[in-house]
Amino acid sequence: MTGLHRWVGLPVAAVVLVCGVVGVQLAHGGGEYEPLRPADPCSARAVTSQAEGIDGLTERLVLLGIDGAACRLGVSREAFTLELAQTDSPSDAQIDALRGGLKSAVTRMKADGTLPPASALVDESLDSTDLNDLLKSLIRALPDSAIDAALKTDDVLVRAIDDLDLRTVLANLDDQDALEQQIEVAVTGAVKASLEARIRGLV
Amino acid sequence: MRRAVAPLLIVTVALVLADSAVVTLALPDILVHLDASVGQVAWVLIAYNLVLGLAAVPAAMGFSRAQPRLFSALGIAVFAGSSAVCAVAGSIDVLIAARCFQAVGGALALIGCLELLVAAYGERRGVASWITAGVVGTAVGPVAGGLLTQAISWQAIFVVQVPVAVLAVPAALAVRAAPVVVADRHRPSVRANVTLALMSAALTAALFLLVLLLVQGWGRSPATAAVTVSVVPLAAIAARPLARLLRPPPEVEVAVGCFLVAGGLVGLAIPPSASLAWTIAPQALVGLGLGLTVDQLTTRAMEMRLPRAQHAGWTIGARHIGVVVGLAILTPVFTADLRDAQVPAQQAITSLVLDAPLPPQDKIAVAEALGGELSAQAQQVPDLHRAFAKLDLDPAERPAAARLERDLTAQVERAATRAFRDSFLIGAGLALLALMTLIPLGRRRSR
Repeated sequence: MTGLHRWVGLPVAAVVLVCGVVGVQLAHGGGEYEPLRPADPCSARAVTSQAEGIDGLTERLVLLGIDGAACRLGVSREAFTLELAQTDSPSDAQIDALRGGLKSAVTRMKADGTLPPASALVDESLDSTDLNDLLKSLIRALPDSAIDAALKTDDVLVRAIDDLDLRTVLANLDDQDALEQQIEVAVTGAVKASLEARIRGLV
Repeated sequence: MRRAVAPLLIVTVALVLADSAVVTLALPDILVHLDASVGQVAWVLIAYNLVLGLAAVPAAMGFSRAQPRLFSALGIAVFAGSSAVCAVAGSIDVLIAARCFQAVGGALALIGCLELLVAAYGERRGVASWITAGVVGTAVGPVAGGLLTQAISWQAIFVVQVPVAVLAVPAALAVRAAPVVVADRHRPSVRANVTLALMSAALTAALFLLVLLLVQGWGRSPATAAVTVSVVPLAAIAARPLARLLRPPPEVEVAVGCFLVAGGLVGLAIPPSASLAWTIAPQALVGLGLGLTVDQLTTRAMEMRLPRAQHAGWTIGARHIGVVVGLAILTPVFTADLRDAQVPAQQAITSLVLDAPLPPQDKIAVAEALGGELSAQAQQVPDLHRAFAKLDLDPAERPAAARLERDLTAQVERAATRAFRDSFLIGAGLALLALMTLIPLGRRRSR
């Protein structure tokens, strides 16, 4: 073996080995193996739900609403969700942002046509209300067009969101019955207010 | 018995140096069993290296005034007794104190065994076998400790050392070696010892951090981690034939070794996934680097320098102070990075739960269970399976929940891997710093 080979043989082999190993690691995504980065909450996100009917609508509204609230506060939706989960007393700014986000979600869903008409939600709503059976039957007998003409889903949802005590909603997340009760009261009130406003408008 | 004398002394040298990192994989078990804090349990590792590093040179100075066989036998006996105390320690304080005595005994044994091996084998072979035993012990320590912890218990690490050391006491007494009285003729080789210290710090990053990543970050068992990191000693053994084949000058061999360790640490910093396979090639680079550097540097620090024991003491001191410096630099970095990794990990988990193909109430249940587990396991990389095991889900939803659990675990692994990146890169920086120490030496010689 020549003197030159003795000086360069091992260094060249080492450079080839190191470049090969590091190169293969990088080519396979080494250096980018990191946790998911939160998406920009201000960019429109497609949301889906496994649930149908009112539950599905609520979930999509909440997911879009969290995005909107996070965008207003300038944080990621994940950071906002964790902040809400880790505090017993959300700040006024957080509650205002959440309410604003939910209302923006209603507007967005109306604009992209994913907000169902009121008639599509009536049967399920009546199942969970304590109206008497005769009244329920009467409402069910109404044609969909009449219901949709009398009640606008977006109007009812915005009124319900305005009426909801969001602090109590957040506190009741682990209590399904209390949560449903609270939402039912808000939605019923919103339906009444929406109908009264429509009648007043007609008069 | 006479034939077994030298091999027993070689095994003793390997044991003492293996003890430097042998408990790495046992630390989680020790933490739980002795009800210790993370900071306390780190001292099981640090105390041994610190005391061994500080005691080596004074032990070598004391050696010149002692009978080599009595000195060695005393050291090995102290090491054996302390190992036994480590095995039965009922508290973390007793374990740390016993580790300090073990290191003092180890320092005496290492210095004494060097002279006994020279008496048994002659100068060249005796020193070479002492150095090789040290390299093998250093590389094999974490593997052996991991396997013993998984197969038996963390105490078994110390129990198995006792009979070997006990047998080595009469072996040491059986060697006829005259006291070595040599004046202090040579100064310590500062450059070789500094390079050795920096390389030890870098190798600490490789071995200590890798086993932590495998066990704590990727949730592998100590046995799996031990088998995985066995690539390092195997590659270290392969380094000698490679060097013999290419016959590089010693300084080139050391420089290449430093470069290989740095490259291997960069590879460990950027695995493309949490698959063990991605650690193999970087570990092989580290092992080759270890095999090319440590024995060459030790030889260089001791070669033609008298008194031999004292220069051996300097190399032991440099190596183990290097380990302590490595731990001192890396431990705060990776513990802070692990703490900082919690936020991105929690956000990734939140994102996946929010978008999970599960009914809303199941998502809330999953979120609550995860929140509870993450709070309960706040000081460690969380095991999310416990949260999912508690859930009472509709059978139709279980496949989606199982997919979500896999995806979340992958996010935790990603966060843990990312948290170790900077520490591995600092280790690579230490290896490159070791390489830098060689450059002026090369220039001076070439003139």
